[in-house]
Amino acid sequence: MTYEERAAEFKGRIDAGEKIEAGDWMPDEYRLSALKFIEMHANSEVMGALPEREWIPRAPNLKRKLSLTAKVQDEVGHGQILYRVAEDLGKSREQMFDDLVNGRTKFHNVFHYPTYTWGDVAVIGWLIDGAALVNQKALLDASYMPYVRAMRRICPEESLHLRHGEELVLELVSGTPDQRQMFQDAVDRWWRPIMHFFGPPSKKRDMLIYWRIKTRSNESLRSEFFSTYVPKLWDVGITVPDENLAWNEELRDWDWSDPGWEDFWETIRGNGPMTSIRLAYRKAMWDTHAWVREVFAGIPEAA
Amino acid sequence: VAVWDVLGKRTPDDEWAVVGGIKAPDAEMALILAKETHFRHKEGVGYAVRRRGEDELHVGSYAPEVLGGVTDRSYRRQEAYTGVGGKHKRLAQEMAQRGLAVDRPRPPVGRMAPGLRVSPASVEAENAAEVPTEEEIASQGTAG
Repeated sequence: MTYEERAAEFKGRIDAGEKIEAGDWMPDEYRLSALKFIEMHANSEVMGALPEREWIPRAPNLKRKLSLTAKVQDEVGHGQILYRVAEDLGKSREQMFDDLVNGRTKFHNVFHYPTYTWGDVAVIGWLIDGAALVNQKALLDASYMPYVRAMRRICPEESLHLRHGEELVLELVSGTPDQRQMFQDAVDRWWRPIMHFFGPPSKKRDMLIYWRIKTRSNESLRSEFFSTYVPKLWDVGITVPDENLAWNEELRDWDWSDPGWEDFWETIRGNGPMTSIRLAYRKAMWDTHAWVREVFAGIPEAA
Repeated sequence: VAVWDVLGKRTPDDEWAVVGGIKAPDAEMALILAKETHFRHKEGVGYAVRRRGEDELHVGSYAPEVLGGVTDRSYRRQEAYTGVGGKHKRLAQEMAQRGLAVDRPRPPVGRMAPGLRVSPASVEAENAAEVPTEEEIASQGTAG
């Protein structure tokens, strides 16, 4: 059987909804696409822990400090799980981390921004984790089974994070006028990055969907996010900075303002407001903890 | 460093099922990493590791009731946030009464926007050898 014939047979398995295991034969294009996608997801888990980590020392009480610390630990743990899945597709964890801290690979756009107040922590905990969960639940039906297993492990924890974030939000919006305003300001600040979160309009030739590495279009995911979270924001009297955002009963979908994509692509390229600072921090940690990796890799036999 | 499959049981009657993997130099370290990575939140009643390519199963020694810890770490689990949904509804009623809720068109309760799954067979692929670039990958909404 030629390579093309095997690839066509493989594509037939994908279209039929079959799952692919790490040891299965797969076309190079599938392997590379899955590797890049999962590696970027892992990078984003690890880098996504940083904006919240900055608030652990400033959490308002011990309960919040404990829960935020646990959340940061969870996110880094998700990164560890995903790097392991990606390794089986042909790239070592060391190489992936080296590529990340040296800017050769990317992480998600939403983690390139600064956090100014506890309101930002609430937005990240509820709306950004909510957006992530919309995406990650869709990945439970992806074609690469080791990734699906990882998502089965990760989604329940993200669901917990979501509840944690919602509790922070409710605390602020039911508090003093200053606390409500702090959350409203944070929503205003983060709305555009959140609109960018789901990515630009999907291409007709989306190879990630072609291989069922992802299962839904960017539009459909963003629309689900709107349906799930915007009414809840409105219910507690929080506005979003988009006058055009409204449910269109005729289209049975949301009208919204295109946020513009120029600075989105700049951020993706590594020119976001906090990109260099957060990468420098990760690089410093990577370098100063090299001895741990060396010990792990070279534990001598007992004498 | 060797690769180990991590296996777990959600209930005592379950068969061992692969839940993920870790890398470790020996079985002892593999069990420690497996517990911390995959069973930190009371995800099951038993766990084990199996070096990839081998049959021998190394079963973790923690009893079901202590796997996931015995100290009060409820803030790490769903039950710590029971009642958040109810609080949101009560607050929404209060805001409506105070005239603070935003009254704009919204989908009827329970109705989601259309267009969920996309069939991979429906995607135009003139050149199936195409692999997305790093930037295209990073523009997708997959994040931590």
